[in-house]
Amino acid sequence: MTDVAVSVEHVGKKFRLYSERNQSLKSAIMRGRRSVHQEFWALNDVSFEVPVGSTFGLIGSNGSGKSTLLKCLAKIYYPNRGRIVANGKFAALLEVGSGFHPELSGRENIFLNGSILGMTKKEITHKFDEIVEFSGVEKFIDQPVKNYSSGMFVRLGFSVAINVNPDILIVDEVLAVGDAEFQEKCQVKFAQLKKAGRTVILVSHDMVQVRKMCDTVAWLKNGDLVTVGEAEQTIAAYTDSLQGEEP
Amino acid sequence: MHYLKELFSARELLLNLTLREVRGKYKRTVFGQLWSLANPLASMLVYTLVFSFILRIKPDVGDPSGLNVFAVWLLCGLLPFIFLTNVINDGMGSLVNNANLVQKVYFTRIVLPLAMVGAVGFNWLIEMGVLIVALTIVGAWVIPWIPLVLVAMVLLAVFGSGLALMLAVANVHFRDTQYFMSILLQIWMYLTPVIYPVSLVESKSREFGGILGTNITVLDVYKLNPMEHFVGLFRALLYDNRWPDPQDMIACVLWAVGIFALGLWVFRRTEKGLAEIL
Repeated sequence: MTDVAVSVEHVGKKFRLYSERNQSLKSAIMRGRRSVHQEFWALNDVSFEVPVGSTFGLIGSNGSGKSTLLKCLAKIYYPNRGRIVANGKFAALLEVGSGFHPELSGRENIFLNGSILGMTKKEITHKFDEIVEFSGVEKFIDQPVKNYSSGMFVRLGFSVAINVNPDILIVDEVLAVGDAEFQEKCQVKFAQLKKAGRTVILVSHDMVQVRKMCDTVAWLKNGDLVTVGEAEQTIAAYTDSLQGEEP
Repeated sequence: MHYLKELFSARELLLNLTLREVRGKYKRTVFGQLWSLANPLASMLVYTLVFSFILRIKPDVGDPSGLNVFAVWLLCGLLPFIFLTNVINDGMGSLVNNANLVQKVYFTRIVLPLAMVGAVGFNWLIEMGVLIVALTIVGAWVIPWIPLVLVAMVLLAVFGSGLALMLAVANVHFRDTQYFMSILLQIWMYLTPVIYPVSLVESKSREFGGILGTNITVLDVYKLNPMEHFVGLFRALLYDNRWPDPQDMIACVLWAVGIFALGLWVFRRTEKGLAEIL
């Protein structure tokens, strides 16, 4: 099966809720046992497949397990049950500007951030002009990034990430960066990625955006998968359920 | 093996993270990289004053180099020890200090402590360069020994990396580790013949005889300290300009490989859970 980009198979993720945690050696020794905790399943038996070339949305209320699932997809967390199989190189965009050093220049940070996201030096050099142009910070590229405005900072971070050019891009609610003009640019870029046959998985609370971008949507509630299917219907079911709860 | 391959493929990231530390460290200072020399020089002045002029410690004259300068003799052991201390301190904090990165991006975590070793190693390389110039000025013929000095430096870096890997993980679980280590490192330095010659321990050990009626002497126990061998290695090469004691060479290789393998094993086992615990 080559038309599946990511397959999520019966994934469960457990967290420990510590009532008393042995964070220091003293407490570990004094209490003489490991620690007191309860188990909490943030994800429960979630299964779905993301087809190649699709834009896949994850929706759900706060605390429904969306971000946990996204972190499992990004290999930051490891599921306790089940497994996730990804076909192709992936990049995760959970935060923009990861690893930026405030004292270093924009140029140095592009190389640093790019290599953290898994690009080789050759790739970065090749894409350097594109990244700078997309971010719109040409004039300040040799200034330390601590002098950047917060908008410039996130734009630069986002530009690096979007140019990693992965087969699978995982995005967490970071689309809402920059001004209207930059957002427009991002939309165009996502459309290009889609045309190039890339797979995008994103989490968002903005239903308008999800409806506009996604083909398939999965709805999570309290760690369980409610439904997965065509975007329009799933979003409608989700918004209906919200209205039912809050009349 | 598979893990080493993964590490090899992350070499560019390792280099970039090392450069981040090196470049970022002395930004916005007037003297820049010179500051990295200030610390060992200050220690050298203090120790020379106290141990050479006041306590009158006399290390053996360099054989065959014929050197007899306490300050230089001290630096040959002090610089490697300061390097180890910095590797342990910076490497140990690397995961906790980069918690944000670990929780947001996937990459081979091992590059974080190793990048600190690289950054500290870069400073050490400069220090050792200055020391070699100083040695040459006071009359040592150290240049032919430089390749072996580099080998010894790599060995110590491998040994330090192994410790840093273990301690970085330990520090994620128990933040006590860093406070505990700062005390332990002080004690460790005085248990190592850095500011006094090992001959002082030898003569005391002979007076004392075997411990509790056994054949084991104080010196045997004293030599269990891996840094005793490393300091011996560096002194022989730099100060005496001769082949080091084969015992020291074997001990250094074994300690370096053993501790690094152990560190790698510990790190690998716990790597996956780091993002949650941090």
